[in-house]
Amino acid sequence: MTDALRDEVRAWLAAHWTGPAADEAAARAWLAKVVEARWAVPRWPVEWGGRALPDAEARIIEAEFAALGAPGTGQDRTNLYANTLLAFGTQALKERLLLRMLRGEVPMCLLYSEPNAGSDLAGLRCRAERRDGQWVVNGQKVWTSYAAVAEYGMLVARTDWDAPKHRGISFFFCPMRQPGVEVRPLRQITGESRFNEVFLTDALIPEENLLGQPGQGWAVLQTALAYERSVMGEAARGPRSGVAEGTGEPPLIALAREAGRLGDPVLRQDLARVLAYRALNALNTARAKADLAQGTSSPLMSLGKLAMSRILHEEARLRTAILGPESLFEGPEHPRAEDANFLTLNAYFTSIGGGTDQIQRNIIGERVLGLPREPEVDRDLPFRQVRSQ
Amino acid sequence: MAGIGREEALAFRDQLRRLLAARAGEAELRRVMETPAGYDPTLWRQLAELGLVGLVVEAAHGGTGAGPVALELAMEEVGAALLPGPLLGSGVLAAGLVAALGDEATAARLLPGIADGSRIAAAAITGPAGSWTEAGVAVEAVPDGGGWTLSGTASFVLHGQNADLLLVAARTAEGIAVFEADPRAAGLVVAALPCFDHSLRIAEIRFTGAPARRLGGRPGWAAVEAALDLAQVAMAGEQAGAGRRVLEMTVEYAKTRIQFGRPIGSFQAIKHMAADLLLEAESAISAARHAAEALEGRAVGAGAAVHLAGFACAEAFATIAATAIQMHGGIAFTWDHPAHLYLRRARADVQLLGAPAWHRERYLQALGA
Repeated sequence: MTDALRDEVRAWLAAHWTGPAADEAAARAWLAKVVEARWAVPRWPVEWGGRALPDAEARIIEAEFAALGAPGTGQDRTNLYANTLLAFGTQALKERLLLRMLRGEVPMCLLYSEPNAGSDLAGLRCRAERRDGQWVVNGQKVWTSYAAVAEYGMLVARTDWDAPKHRGISFFFCPMRQPGVEVRPLRQITGESRFNEVFLTDALIPEENLLGQPGQGWAVLQTALAYERSVMGEAARGPRSGVAEGTGEPPLIALAREAGRLGDPVLRQDLARVLAYRALNALNTARAKADLAQGTSSPLMSLGKLAMSRILHEEARLRTAILGPESLFEGPEHPRAEDANFLTLNAYFTSIGGGTDQIQRNIIGERVLGLPREPEVDRDLPFRQVRSQ
Repeated sequence: MAGIGREEALAFRDQLRRLLAARAGEAELRRVMETPAGYDPTLWRQLAELGLVGLVVEAAHGGTGAGPVALELAMEEVGAALLPGPLLGSGVLAAGLVAALGDEATAARLLPGIADGSRIAAAAITGPAGSWTEAGVAVEAVPDGGGWTLSGTASFVLHGQNADLLLVAARTAEGIAVFEADPRAAGLVVAALPCFDHSLRIAEIRFTGAPARRLGGRPGWAAVEAALDLAQVAMAGEQAGAGRRVLEMTVEYAKTRIQFGRPIGSFQAIKHMAADLLLEAESAISAARHAAEALEGRAVGAGAAVHLAGFACAEAFATIAATAIQMHGGIAFTWDHPAHLYLRRARADVQLLGAPAWHRERYLQALGA
């Protein structure tokens, strides 16, 4: 069975794969072929373009694609939008969007965080009201990547103000290209603009774009977040300039060498300590993967993000220490300072984004170590009575 | 060292865990640590029968024939129980030194007694400065007729006061060599050193022309370094296992200790400390196991792995043990609470085979910096 499957994938790839796509149109054309041949989502039901295969067989397909560097399969694990839609969407919405999403034709964004609902996301105040057979949305979202190009945003909004905070939220596919949606780029502390604010003013959402039942949005969101976390991995960014990369030794050692500081015994201690953080995290990650491969869940998975925060902050601190007063400078004439300063600021992307280190510690304490939850004074109150600013 | 398979190593670990649970609890530890010998000879024999004492000794010389990976796994259990005794000094460091010399006749003569636990061997390597480098050796050997005599001082000798056999690193005209000496011989005095960790035994040995036998094989310091690497990996396993256990105890306490009407573990002040310690504990386990695998495979870069474990595991255990006392509060300030036993071991281990700063420097050198 597995051999036959492997042969089938190989034969198909041999007949169709011609190498990496040259442009976006070619990439889309490839995805369309993968979807048509039912390789995109092998674990999914046949009805939605899948093969209803068990995980082990789907992995065979992924391995064959990966061996050639061919993209497109495994979306039943990695495509958080499509998986959320499959699990909770209406028949009409699935028919309209699912296959297009798998073909990469539906740019998406996330409309979760609000200026007053960050760590406490369930305290969100964006309002959706049912009016004349559709939903009318008013509120503000923040930290939205790709908002300007997205066709739909996955939106959580409050639909019941008398229910407790977690039970009055609903989950929508919100059309982004309409007059009620205004996107404003948000300038970050690094000076870049990778996120947006999204202002929703009487934005309209068709009835069929509700996922799950009204008031069940928190549960839908948990599914979506689980998919998101599972693919987040270790996507930390390196230095902006690429200086000191590619010499084969760790960039911090190369930088210290270049700066003539490698003989400083105090710095050497610091260097070893900081290099160890990254080395230990790599070992933890490898152990977590081995545990998973053996079917044991691992506490290590949830530690990775916290560990990465420390790595990035500490590496940036050490870069700055190595450079000393040079780190005062800015601009293209000073790439080493640019790197140190950018990495110092961008480290907060990891220690705040996707759940702050403090929220992460709560999660580790409660879900991994089994410590009791902090009592929440607003948990069971009707949301109307919950204190706001 | 050929090593045994993973399944076998896990099965051995489980057997050991059961024996330690039955025979090496806290009450037993407290009793034994106040005796002069500092270990229980009956349990020692049982551990030898199980195969723990001769774990890394080849089967041909009466041992179990396991490698660093199985050793590290076993040491996690030993550490969790804070098992007192000459395992690290005799079964690992001294046995490892004899094996590392690679001289078949010496191995056949000395290893069976060490492996079956009937002889306790102690490796006397560093001087009173406690520096685990070639320069730290403070015993001189001079030829004397057909044999040799030793003069100088060796310190921090694990279970030196219990030893039946001494293996001494000493300086000769051709560099460091390893010598065999009888602890009861004239010309040497073994003095127990008072140790902050009551479950540990260390001694200083003063040589004043003691007779000794030079052991052949591999150059002395290379053999010593190989044995130290093995002992370092074993201790890293001990630290990782002990750190994990003391964290488990602390988390359990945080779930049951009520203040302000709720378990203290529900307070973020405590919960966040626990989360940070879990990262330390798991990183220590990863580092110790990685070092064992590197040593077993004689991998390129094994040096970096060993020294990484050398400081990461030592500091993780010390941090966990110290923070655990703070998290417990007053109860852990009492002698009767076990937390200080872990802190004492952690602080001893930090110094025992080279302090963290030294391992960090060696780690950096191994990375080419």
